[in-house]
Amino acid sequence: MPAVREHPTDLKWIGKSIPRIEDPRLLRGRGGYIDDLVLPRMLHAAIVRSPHAHARIMGIDAAAARQLPGVVTVITGAEAAELCDPMPDFGPDPARHTWRCLAVEKVRNVGEGVAVVVAESRHIAEDACDLVEVTYEPLPAVVDPEAALAPDAPLVHEALGSNVAYTRKFDFGDVDADFAEAEVVVSDRLRWHRSGGQPLETVGAVAQYDPGTGMLTIWENSLSFTSYLFLLAMTLKVPANKLDVRAVPAGGSFGSKLWAVKAAAVAGMCAKATGRPVKFIEDRVDNLSNSDHCGSDRVYNVELAAMRDGTLRSLRIHVVDDYGAYMQFGVGHHGNALAQVTGPYRIGSISYELQAVVTNKCQQGAYRGFGSEVNNWMLERMVDLLARKLELDPVEIRRRNLLGKDEFPYFIPTGNVYDSGDYAEVLRKALELAGYDQWRAEQERARQEGRYLGIGLCSCQERSVFSATEFWFWFDEPAAPVTSMPESITLSVDATGGVSATLYSCAFWGNSPETMVAQLVAEQLDVDPTTVNVVYGGSNTGLPATGPGGSRFTVMIAGAIEGAVGKIKDKAFKIAAHLLEAAPEDLEWREGGVSVKGTPTSRKSLGEVAVMAHLFKHSLPDDIESGLEAGQVFDHPYTTMPSPDRSDLGVFYPFMGHACHIAVVEVDVETGAVEFLKYVAVHDCGTLVNPRSLEGHIVGGTAQGLGTALLEQFVYSDDGNLLTQSYFDYLLPSALEVPEVVIGHHETPSPYTPYGIKGGGEAGRMMAPAAIASAVEDALAPLGVRVHTLPATPERVLTWIEEAQGA
Amino acid sequence: MTERLPVSMVVNGVPTVAEVEPRRSLVEFLREDLGLVGAHVGCEHGVCGTCTVLMNGESVRSCLMFTVQANGAEIQTVEGLAANGELHPLQEAFREKQGLQCGFCTPGMLLLALELLGENPHPTAAEVRQGIAGNLCRCTGYQFIIEAVLAAADRVPIVVGEPA
Amino acid sequence: MKPAPFSYHPASSVKEVLDLLTELGPEARVLAGGQSLVPMMNFRVAQPAHLVDINPVVELDYLQAEDGRLAIGARTRQSALERSSAVAAQAPLLVEAVGHQAFPTVRHRGTVGGSLAHADPAAELSAAVLAMDGELVVTGPDGSRTVPALEFFQGPFETVVAPQELLTEIRVEAWPAGTGHAFLEFARAYHGFAVVGVAALVHLDGGQIARAAVSLCGVAGTPVRAAAAEERLVGRTPTPETLEEAAVAAADGLDPASDVQGSGAYRRKLARVFVRRALRLAVERANGGQS
Repeated sequence: MPAVREHPTDLKWIGKSIPRIEDPRLLRGRGGYIDDLVLPRMLHAAIVRSPHAHARIMGIDAAAARQLPGVVTVITGAEAAELCDPMPDFGPDPARHTWRCLAVEKVRNVGEGVAVVVAESRHIAEDACDLVEVTYEPLPAVVDPEAALAPDAPLVHEALGSNVAYTRKFDFGDVDADFAEAEVVVSDRLRWHRSGGQPLETVGAVAQYDPGTGMLTIWENSLSFTSYLFLLAMTLKVPANKLDVRAVPAGGSFGSKLWAVKAAAVAGMCAKATGRPVKFIEDRVDNLSNSDHCGSDRVYNVELAAMRDGTLRSLRIHVVDDYGAYMQFGVGHHGNALAQVTGPYRIGSISYELQAVVTNKCQQGAYRGFGSEVNNWMLERMVDLLARKLELDPVEIRRRNLLGKDEFPYFIPTGNVYDSGDYAEVLRKALELAGYDQWRAEQERARQEGRYLGIGLCSCQERSVFSATEFWFWFDEPAAPVTSMPESITLSVDATGGVSATLYSCAFWGNSPETMVAQLVAEQLDVDPTTVNVVYGGSNTGLPATGPGGSRFTVMIAGAIEGAVGKIKDKAFKIAAHLLEAAPEDLEWREGGVSVKGTPTSRKSLGEVAVMAHLFKHSLPDDIESGLEAGQVFDHPYTTMPSPDRSDLGVFYPFMGHACHIAVVEVDVETGAVEFLKYVAVHDCGTLVNPRSLEGHIVGGTAQGLGTALLEQFVYSDDGNLLTQSYFDYLLPSALEVPEVVIGHHETPSPYTPYGIKGGGEAGRMMAPAAIASAVEDALAPLGVRVHTLPATPERVLTWIEEAQGA
Repeated sequence: MTERLPVSMVVNGVPTVAEVEPRRSLVEFLREDLGLVGAHVGCEHGVCGTCTVLMNGESVRSCLMFTVQANGAEIQTVEGLAANGELHPLQEAFREKQGLQCGFCTPGMLLLALELLGENPHPTAAEVRQGIAGNLCRCTGYQFIIEAVLAAADRVPIVVGEPA
Repeated sequence: MKPAPFSYHPASSVKEVLDLLTELGPEARVLAGGQSLVPMMNFRVAQPAHLVDINPVVELDYLQAEDGRLAIGARTRQSALERSSAVAAQAPLLVEAVGHQAFPTVRHRGTVGGSLAHADPAAELSAAVLAMDGELVVTGPDGSRTVPALEFFQGPFETVVAPQELLTEIRVEAWPAGTGHAFLEFARAYHGFAVVGVAALVHLDGGQIARAAVSLCGVAGTPVRAAAAEERLVGRTPTPETLEEAAVAAADGLDPASDVQGSGAYRRKLARVFVRRALRLAVERANGGQS
């Protein structure tokens, strides 16, 4: 366990909702997004997509396409397989669920690419796509995850021999004993359909290959996991040190641009093949059908064991997760679930049985919550079910089971730790902000009037800062038990004292990395945050960086900054000591410079120190090198290894945020439509750097959670056709679907991170589905409805009402 | 079909003449030919609104207009908001209220908000919510956008053009 | 999502449009607002070889009201219809219906004629014009013909307008004083297409329903008039039971197709609910209630 930190209290910049550093250029329309990038002689790529969910590719005739004026080349999947190796794959058995940037031999989902056309314009490329003749032999498709389990189901990957890419049952604690002692057991089948991040900007890349130097440069709006980019280099058949990937700001991601390497692979392959820069940007149909970043798609069968007084004892979880056609991130989404599988409650044991199946759908990727939000929803559904069975108030049952603030650090049965929290206080604040008692009274009145008003609440965890172990503790003998997921920064002070910070991953997705960096640097160097210049470096000459994801960025960059600032201060102190003729231990950092303790007038500003460092080496002691800059690689500060038998998965996601959401809804029982009357979100993400920025994520995340709960689903027909290939059918929430979110804060600092910061980027989405499902169910309780499926579309709700009434 | 047709229009007050293929959309022309990259391409079927610009003072979906159709029109893009390098009061309000996160919907939202305030200089929060509902945002959940527009309501001096 | 190549022909008069349509043949399509056609072209489900742009045909941009008769030029923008006080006075049903179409930005460009000629089965304006027994003037090389709304819509995205013809005018007659109107719809999100939409007009005379019109969109390949519902309303007092009976009759005759937005069965249920709600609102307004 790392040392417990003491956090400074007199903070100047941390905790201030300063306007964001990123905004002035974004407001001017100068965001620098990938499609803004234009290179001389640049070509454009478009993908020929499969109309079939599952089919053998019998032949591709690209002759007509190649002859179209303006077309430079057409690369079929078979040709691509000569130019490129398979895509990097963190799945359980990459040799058997091989994933390529273009399909070879057969296609496995509607939208999968079978060829790429490169032309002078995207228009011409698409004209040529229409001329590419692909002969398919359709195969029966497997679309439903439970159908995929059947022994005679069509195989998505013949080499796997089954559609179960991974299965395992974990037991933590003594589940059988706890179930035996339990006085009540509730069980249910719960279904969470797939939705996806769907940022308004799609994934894209621009690649340029210089045959003279052998350097392949790729700009992409998705740079992450830089140390793993050698895998992309291998795919593209260039030496790792000849691949430079450069971060470009993204127009939103929500996980869907995390390690979104396919666009980079396509662009890179085409750039090498044509000798000219190539831009590949998904259009919306590419993105909806083949972007590799759908969210979880799960069938749960769960049993919750408890005592009659509502004390929770144990959980048996069986989950089938429909991963789609490939397994790029393995079952890391369930690692995320296991990080907080017992929620904020004192539950002594759990059994977790996972069947990860492949089907003929686009593969899963990362979507805000990365699989833990589904567990939140499932758990809260079960707690609500138990509460109803025991006729306990949903608030009361939670109060009885919430961990107390003195119980931390708290190790959950899986081995992960919750570092700190005060869940009862978060609940209390939420109830107060929501006016919970008044709404219960209002609910009564509404019921008398024949209206269906419901109050839903959830108490959920928001883990932050993942460890690499969650990607491989699934295997007793993992092929690559990696343990590095660092974040890095280089701080440099120029000869005028101006501070620059270089980041090495695509930190900007709409989160506020520059603002976070500026505020943290400002706090430690005592400079004005608006003067800190933040830039993004490329991967080739950069320090290793993982990028945003798992709400990790602020915590990790804070650690990196702390280290880099420390090094700069050390050197500054040495230089200042020499200049001020004092001993370093008699000096202090004060007002953006170094001064003698007790004699503030005896000081050197950062600029004065810097100019000496840059220009006057021989005026300084021999052991001081020129310059004033420092890089810091910051590794995860609290990771422990899993036990060999996996009965203890170790600590892998320790910085645990928490939230309580309360939703008040009215359901129109004639249509199934849900209207919001009130929405409250109280979050505890430890110490906040920029509260307003976090609030923005809470509201935005809640809106996405609302989408998942009520509106959004990638709908596949029985034969695997994707029915939601436009925004006419995949419905994102507009301003009229999203209620005003009343936000409350609580701050329980982490004992282990700089300033006690915890991650909060995934905020609302991890809670809203649970709160909303709970509210709809509460509204329809008099009718006996159970909300067991998301999205709870109006039609589904109406069907549930009819079924409950008919029963 | 690869014939190019002449167009002339005024973009952010600057007379512009060009020859374009008929199927080039207005958003492509603005972005690629004029380097005005503030209007974005998000869906190309008119739903998301990231391509919103003002044409003759009215908001339009520039992904659904062919450049040749804008012949003779006055176009305003987000680049036309800031004057003399200073942010427009509307932009300043967005900045103060953090009415943006990734910024991709922001140029469209700004122009839509400008139109909204031109028609309704002192809207209620509900009217703003209704008024911006035609443009999607995936990051903010709309709340701080609404706060920004309300904050700007007292500061936006002049309406750009009259709605047709 | 780039459209296939096409040749572009702006026209500034009806005659020019017709000449071009004849010259270019059936591979030519009329480009009006483009808010429906261009998405189809971007998806490449429509690939017209030629576009005849009627936006410059200002002679078709008019709203004329005279003696309770409203004549709307086909190129009139939907937003102009929405803002027109003449239409608000004579045909408030149209104003309410068009206000549900997409959102304001789209309505700045979308035209009244374009929407009707596009004939999306979910289009609100189609249902409203049908409820008002509108007449559509279709002009071709040989002159104009007037088509009743009931005959105008042939199927999904299909009308009687032939390739060389142009819809030029839409005519509706105001209902007498004492009429209440309502357009209500169910959509899953603000920007979603109507799953079911209902246009209702009720004229009360001496507390009884003297005349009624109910039409629906989103429930069939074309907008439909609920004649069975209307029969159960005329000559009766607008009690809740009467309205419910009409609603049931309206829904009974329907066999809507299923799609991602809703199954046929669900649409039929919604039809009943929304016919009842629309009738109730129309009656309220006829009684001088909500406006």
